[in-house]
Amino acid sequence: MSKPLVVFDKVQKHFGDFVAVKELDFEIREGEFLAIMGPSGCGKTTTLRMLAGLEAPTFGEIRLNDRVMNDVAPHERDTPLVWQSLALFPFLTARENVEFGLKMRGVDKAERKERAFKWLDKMGILEFENRHISTLSGGQKQRVALARSLVMEPQILLLDEPLSALDAHLVIRMQAVLTDLQRELGITFVYVTHSQSEAFAMADRVIIMGKGEIGQIGTPKEIYRAPANQFVAEFVGRNNILAGKVKSVDGGTARITTPSGEFTVPTNEVNLVKDHNASFVISADLVHIATEEPDGGNKAYCKLISEEFVGSMVTLFLEDAQGHEFKVQMQERELSKFDLHSGDEIWLSWDTQSAHVLNES
Amino acid sequence: MAAPFSQTRESPMSSNPEQRPNLYALTWRLPIIFWQLIFFVGPVLFMVAMSFFLVKNYRMTEAFEFVNWSRMLTRGFFWDSYWYTIGIATLSTVCAMCIAFPAAFALAFRASESTQRWAIFLLIIPFFTSYLVRTFSWFVILSESGVVNAMLGYVGLGPYTMLNTNFGTLVGYMTLTLPLVVILQTVTMANIDKNLIEAARNLGCSPLRTIWQVIIPLSKTGLIIAAIFCFILSFGDFVAPFYLGGSQEPTLPILILDTTKSGQQWPRAAVVAIMMMVTLFAIAFTGIALAYRKGKGAK
Repeated sequence: MSKPLVVFDKVQKHFGDFVAVKELDFEIREGEFLAIMGPSGCGKTTTLRMLAGLEAPTFGEIRLNDRVMNDVAPHERDTPLVWQSLALFPFLTARENVEFGLKMRGVDKAERKERAFKWLDKMGILEFENRHISTLSGGQKQRVALARSLVMEPQILLLDEPLSALDAHLVIRMQAVLTDLQRELGITFVYVTHSQSEAFAMADRVIIMGKGEIGQIGTPKEIYRAPANQFVAEFVGRNNILAGKVKSVDGGTARITTPSGEFTVPTNEVNLVKDHNASFVISADLVHIATEEPDGGNKAYCKLISEEFVGSMVTLFLEDAQGHEFKVQMQERELSKFDLHSGDEIWLSWDTQSAHVLNES
Repeated sequence: MAAPFSQTRESPMSSNPEQRPNLYALTWRLPIIFWQLIFFVGPVLFMVAMSFFLVKNYRMTEAFEFVNWSRMLTRGFFWDSYWYTIGIATLSTVCAMCIAFPAAFALAFRASESTQRWAIFLLIIPFFTSYLVRTFSWFVILSESGVVNAMLGYVGLGPYTMLNTNFGTLVGYMTLTLPLVVILQTVTMANIDKNLIEAARNLGCSPLRTIWQVIIPLSKTGLIIAAIFCFILSFGDFVAPFYLGGSQEPTLPILILDTTKSGQQWPRAAVVAIMMMVTLFAIAFTGIALAYRKGKGAK
């Protein structure tokens, strides 16, 4: 079912002395929604451009359907890309934009028109077919750009931060449009973004990239709950990261001493050695707060620094006596029971099983 | 209740400064207005008036007669010269646009930014030297015993007559217009959003086809303006057709010179000049309208 459609085999990309992509080894499965996420300059867009043939790999091989793509010119590939800037042709109407690729492929006029109509209709913008691009709104342009790529009926669609120019409410709507389309069409989407919410909301699998390397590949849940290393844990945000030394290992759990105190963590598959460095994370939403000191377990006494509201969710930013930052995420209605103000001190606690030890690298 | 009140109170205040002429701004505009009146509008009006004057005993006398207009516009030699000038200026424009395009394309898309800057700087240098000097230097190259014929002689060709031909005229026009056309085309194409070119490639457009399908439509405005400049410069140029073309078929600027020389016919020369201005005005106007025309479907 999920045979690899695309294989990146030890792919590197250098621009002069600058190494944009260090070594990529991964597969894209047929029919999956894959998000490539990372901070700017991490090589995610370069990776996508190599797949579209707009950049050639310096070393390694990219295979699509077992065919080596390295020397295939971009216009001979079937890998339409949706640009961040949309890159719609301003001298053409909406329909002419959608027909452009078909025209280049030599599809005859009648069929071109029919297919363009079908996709404009599917994207809900048929009424704007004769409008010029400059007269369309951001959301409408977005749909034209999607239709222009999808009309090619490709096996794989590449998207380079296509939603970054839209208003927040439109982003949510376009996310739904994209996921519905992907499920319905069953084609592979490769979606590059710096936005965690976009990647986690839509993707089946997420690749976290940093400094030209893959930090982790996994489902959104795996990456969120079980980040593989410090980089991923920090990038995913909303994680509490604690670093210290292993004090003792006892079967499935270990004691780790950190400047903020001593905590019990599950060892999972990580090989923890006594007196060696170790780090672990606790997702912010798995931390509880209490005004009274909890009995035993993992706990920290912190001062509230600030709060951040996003809808009904609140993120509390706290600091312990050693100045280590803690984050707690909870429902606003739960928080209101505590009547907290910045500067107030409060107890944090979490279940041992909520902690996740990082593979130190 | 509150809204109409605030409107009546605010509207006179906000429109006041625009209605009252701003003396300070006007003062600064005056020099340029005077300059234009004295050195452009005035002379043109005088020229129009002069086209109705009469020449008696080699002296211009004030009059209001249509005889100059009817004489010039009914003569075959005027229209021969008119269409020849339009023809060769058009040919010059086509040549300049075609010769400049590959160079401008390379500068805009292939050259590094510093190469681009240097190239534009070097293209400006010809304007430092007199156009007349640059034209005379072609004698050395194009004459019967010139550099080109000498080189062709080594491979057993020629000699070819290049001076005093249409070819000579065109070489002169290129000397005048090519640097400017290359600069205008380069700047236009360098400003194209590269994403659009990549998008075309991504949608199956081969590199050569991209030029027609994307690059030319995107740089339409700049290309048309470059062509208009080239046409205007060639159409009004006296030096190239006179010295390199040998004025065998007189272009309109040569006709003006001939007319003023033979029998002091300044009024008839004015008729030719006005016809030239009207023609250039019409071409520039149509060209600019085309350049900025939006395609169908635009609001």
